[in-house]
Amino acid sequence: MSPQPNHYDVVIIGAGLAGCATARALRDADPTGTRRILLVDKCTDVHPQFSGEFIHPRGAEILDKLGFYAPLVQAGAVDVDGFLAFEHADAQPVELDYADVPNRRPRGLAVHHKTLVRTLRGELRRAGDVELREGWSLIELVRSDSGSICGVVLSGPDKTRHTLTCDLVVGADGKNSSVRKLAGISDEGRETIGFTAGVSVTDATLTRDTYAHVMLGAWGPVLAYPIQNEADGTVTTRVTLDLPKELPAKGAALKDHLLEAYVPFLPAPLSTQVAEAIRRHPGNLYMAPTVDLPAPAAIQPGLALVGDAGGCSHPITASGMTMGLRDAETLGEEARRRAAAPRGEPWLDGAALRRYRTQHDRYVPTRQALASAIYEAFRGEREGSRAIRRALFEYWGSGRSARSRSMALLSCSEGRPSVFLAEYFKTARHALSSSLVPQHARRFPVADRVRRARGAAALAKDKLGLVAAVMWAQVRPSWMPHASR
Amino acid sequence: MLDSPLPTASSNVASAVVEGSPIERSLAAVHPLAARWRGRVLDSMEGTEPTQRWLAAVPDIGPTCEVLLADRLLCDLGKEETEALMQWVRGSQDASGAWMSVEGSPDLSLTVLGWWARRCAGDDPSEASMVKAQRVVHSLGGAQRANFGVRLWLALAGAVPWDFLPAIPGELFLLPRSTWVSPSRFAPWARGILTPYYVLARASASVRLPDPSPLMLRRDPDATALVSPRLTRPGLAGDILQAFDKTVKLTQKLPRGPLRRRAVARAVDWLDETRQRHGGWFSTRPTLLALLAMRVQGARVDDPRILGGLAHLRATRGQVVVRRGVGRGQTALAQGVGGSRVSTAARLVLADRHPSDVASLLRMELSSAGPWQDRANALAGGWPHEPGAGAHLDVDATCSVLAVLSSIEESSPLRAPAWAARRRATDVLLAMQEGPGGFARFERGEADVFMQRFPWTDADLLAQGSNDDPNRVRLAARSLTHLGRTGFRIDDDRVARGIDWLRNVTADAYETRSIRTLSALAGAAVATCPPSHPMRQEMEHRLRARQREDGSFGDLVATAHALSALLELSGACVQCHRAARHLAEAVDRHGDDLERASQATCQGFGLSPRLEDPSATAREVSLALRTFVAQTTGRRGRSTQR
Ligand SMILES: Cc1cc2nc3c(=O)[nH]c(=O)nc-3n(C[C@H](O)[C@H](O)[C@H](O)COP(=O)(O)OP(=O)(O)OC[C@H]3O[C@@H](n4cnc5c(N)ncnc54)[C@H](O)[C@@H]3O)c2cc1C
Repeated sequence: MSPQPNHYDVVIIGAGLAGCATARALRDADPTGTRRILLVDKCTDVHPQFSGEFIHPRGAEILDKLGFYAPLVQAGAVDVDGFLAFEHADAQPVELDYADVPNRRPRGLAVHHKTLVRTLRGELRRAGDVELREGWSLIELVRSDSGSICGVVLSGPDKTRHTLTCDLVVGADGKNSSVRKLAGISDEGRETIGFTAGVSVTDATLTRDTYAHVMLGAWGPVLAYPIQNEADGTVTTRVTLDLPKELPAKGAALKDHLLEAYVPFLPAPLSTQVAEAIRRHPGNLYMAPTVDLPAPAAIQPGLALVGDAGGCSHPITASGMTMGLRDAETLGEEARRRAAAPRGEPWLDGAALRRYRTQHDRYVPTRQALASAIYEAFRGEREGSRAIRRALFEYWGSGRSARSRSMALLSCSEGRPSVFLAEYFKTARHALSSSLVPQHARRFPVADRVRRARGAAALAKDKLGLVAAVMWAQVRPSWMPHASR
Repeated sequence: MLDSPLPTASSNVASAVVEGSPIERSLAAVHPLAARWRGRVLDSMEGTEPTQRWLAAVPDIGPTCEVLLADRLLCDLGKEETEALMQWVRGSQDASGAWMSVEGSPDLSLTVLGWWARRCAGDDPSEASMVKAQRVVHSLGGAQRANFGVRLWLALAGAVPWDFLPAIPGELFLLPRSTWVSPSRFAPWARGILTPYYVLARASASVRLPDPSPLMLRRDPDATALVSPRLTRPGLAGDILQAFDKTVKLTQKLPRGPLRRRAVARAVDWLDETRQRHGGWFSTRPTLLALLAMRVQGARVDDPRILGGLAHLRATRGQVVVRRGVGRGQTALAQGVGGSRVSTAARLVLADRHPSDVASLLRMELSSAGPWQDRANALAGGWPHEPGAGAHLDVDATCSVLAVLSSIEESSPLRAPAWAARRRATDVLLAMQEGPGGFARFERGEADVFMQRFPWTDADLLAQGSNDDPNRVRLAARSLTHLGRTGFRIDDDRVARGIDWLRNVTADAYETRSIRTLSALAGAAVATCPPSHPMRQEMEHRLRARQREDGSFGDLVATAHALSALLELSGACVQCHRAARHLAEAVDRHGDDLERASQATCQGFGLSPRLEDPSATAREVSLALRTFVAQTTGRRGRSTQR
């Protein structure tokens, strides 16, 4: 044990998924079990905001490695097999299987967010090797004379201030991260995209029981996936509905809006079940803002950001938690490399943090670019996005290998820049060609074809900058200094 | 309030309208009138006898007269039927001798047809009213100056040469359908008229009819030569076209091998292909002419196509009350321009719903391919203008049915099928948007037919309305309203294009726009734009400024539309209360006579561009008051007025 009771090797702010996973990953990286890790969260229970529940196989793999998988399944988590994408309610869905991605775990995991966080915290509490303080929140960061972060000021449940010193602060406090703000890290480019409303449906009729159903046609995409095997044998399905930033209605009227403008675009009989669930939902629906936060600088001396604090995007690709888990894994790997660091030296020194950032800056922007492109295509409010949407479905319909390549990217299993670039060009080519050929009209006017093709070309051009940024993030040498943000 | 469903079955309405405020009592009084019309229209769709059926869209006497003229060849009408139809024709004649358009002005073509139909029925041409009619015709330029339809009848009767009608080069029928000048680019009504016309003209067909020559205007009383009508508009371009017309007619006299035969054969095939499931063609006039063309081509009277067409014509007749003319107030039998309008039926269902109504509407959904899909990129869906017109989409009807489907009860077993129909219809609406942002009613490109650019006097008949036609503006507004209610907002480029188009077309002309149009524009703005959007604010301002001292916005139907629009814009404000009070007082004042208190009209086709809409007053007043009562008493209710 450390001779100083108020000194920790690592203080993690936020005991959500990313915070708990980081705590466990660091713990596992310390074979001696002597390093002090403190995990604090401002909420005594799980943060009440509606959050993610669908985890890709890559994330499930990390949960498994960290020893969380089995307890989660025991708590009701559901093994999931991939996505079913419906271009519209009457279309044959496209099946995107995790199992088609070669050399990867074939199943992901879906779980009620509260069950997830409670189970993770319960496991940490049970193991007792991480100090967990619930009801504590960060109010200040402490800096050394050199300017590096060396401690935190917390407010306890009784509102008293407690100053703690540490070698590393990990900001795992979500997209509105106080750590990030107090560290003065810019969140330039942050944008609220809209809102997601959620309801749960008991024993919903899904086309495939263990798939996330992505249903297009309404203003925004609707997702449905199982999240909980209940003790009584029923299955709870989560249905999320994507809403615009300027909410068309509020409170009870929002339910009416969803019933009129979203539910009719779902395939039957799920539509009727969702309508029923919306009507019966007591009070207002679960709601959460959807935010795009282009990866901010994920480190400072004495500080690392993980999970949503280090960048987030629209939940359409269900990859936020997998990213948080990868952050935890990457930080754990760096900690493991430095396991033998002598006392008196920080466990994760500057070089380790830089290596963490290099990795983080590779997978996070790729995921963000994909989420932004998929969301744009699935929303389809512009000619170009509709062209991309048609193209995606056409491409996915063209064969299993096309689907498996897309799935590898979407599920965060593929990070090679060449694959990303190839997929981008294939989709753009499909978008252009499918814009010129109508699906139903027999003598579609040339002017309409041209308008569609121009829209597709404009969107492809708009996205070029984003693609270039992603490519650069992939190939950028780790020694090259980052522009300060 | 915008999105909550209406109280539904009529029993609900009756129970909702309890002893309460004067407005609630007026609603209780007007609702049965709307309910009666719902029964009449919905029943007529189920195929009742013409004598029990009522026309909910009443044209001028034109279609009735043409049916009577055509019967000389088709020999279908019974004596009683003929007499009942004649009662409509005779009763509608004005004391001046003229027959009036729906708008109320003396109409040359109708007066020719009226006179001629009376002659067919054996009326004495020297009788005072017949002589007056003849004078009216002469004062308006003579029968040969009447519209294309009448001149066609005159040519069929041998009273004018076929030259008095424009020439159609037969080659047009042989051109690929994608070419700009192909008849497939004409509006469906025009195609339905011109195709049989071509067949009849090529055969120089003739029908034995009473001599219409007393209606012709000659150069002088003794001359045999008629004053020939000009086929083109004045001006150089018109002169050139007149010369072109002559050239076509001359070349038609030259031997051209199999070309002409093949063109006629193509036109005949076209007639066969475009016959509807209900047995008729696009509407009454095309049906009549197609039947004549088939007869001229050798079809016998017992040919199933002829019998089917005649049965359809019979099914589209119904009772009417003569509203104008010497027989005012009488009940007669009239020929409609088509079957019961789905759009009117849907509005009536909104006003008074029965459990089976939604099922009836769902059965009418288009499920097979049609020519509207040539240029609209959507699968079959939406609704036709009349039941059984399986190939012809009508966006106007589609909007009206969508309003019903979006207020379907939660417990209804038809909810899932209704949602599926809404999805298809939404795709159809989006596909029917024109490039600049407006919406087509029947087929994309219908307002801008290439051949219409020639300065031909009848060119307007080739298209379905002009670009800034109020009907077209309202149609775009209604389509956008429904897209808005389905969740589409101004952030969608199609909605933005639609709103921009509406603003461009209506800019600076709001004062001249009818209340109905302004209300429709307001509905579109509310459904698609945020409260701060200039279009929404402008509409609200314009509409509010048009309220009169007495609380009305014009006639009762206009006031009902305005009330509904204001309720959507801002809830039950002071101006809404005043408008509702005005409507309630009118209901109390007129009682059962409410229908006659306002001469509402709706859109027709081609030569009958406006139709009387006798159910409009009861229907719209009932709907507006119901929404008002629902909002002011906090009951669940929504406006579904456009
Ligand atoms: C509607 C919605 C649906 C989503 N769906 C998916 C999905 O299906 N799959 C997926 O992978 N991702 C999804 N996501 C994203 C996913 O929820 C996030 O990526 C994930 O929850 C991030 O975890 P985190 O631990 O970084 O942050 P959070 O889950 O936000 O946890 C942050 C924690 O920090 C605590 N905290 C905050 N401030 C302080 C402070 N000052 N002091 C102490 N503690 C503090 C909070 O109480 C909270 O417990 C979704 C997101 C949304 C909004």
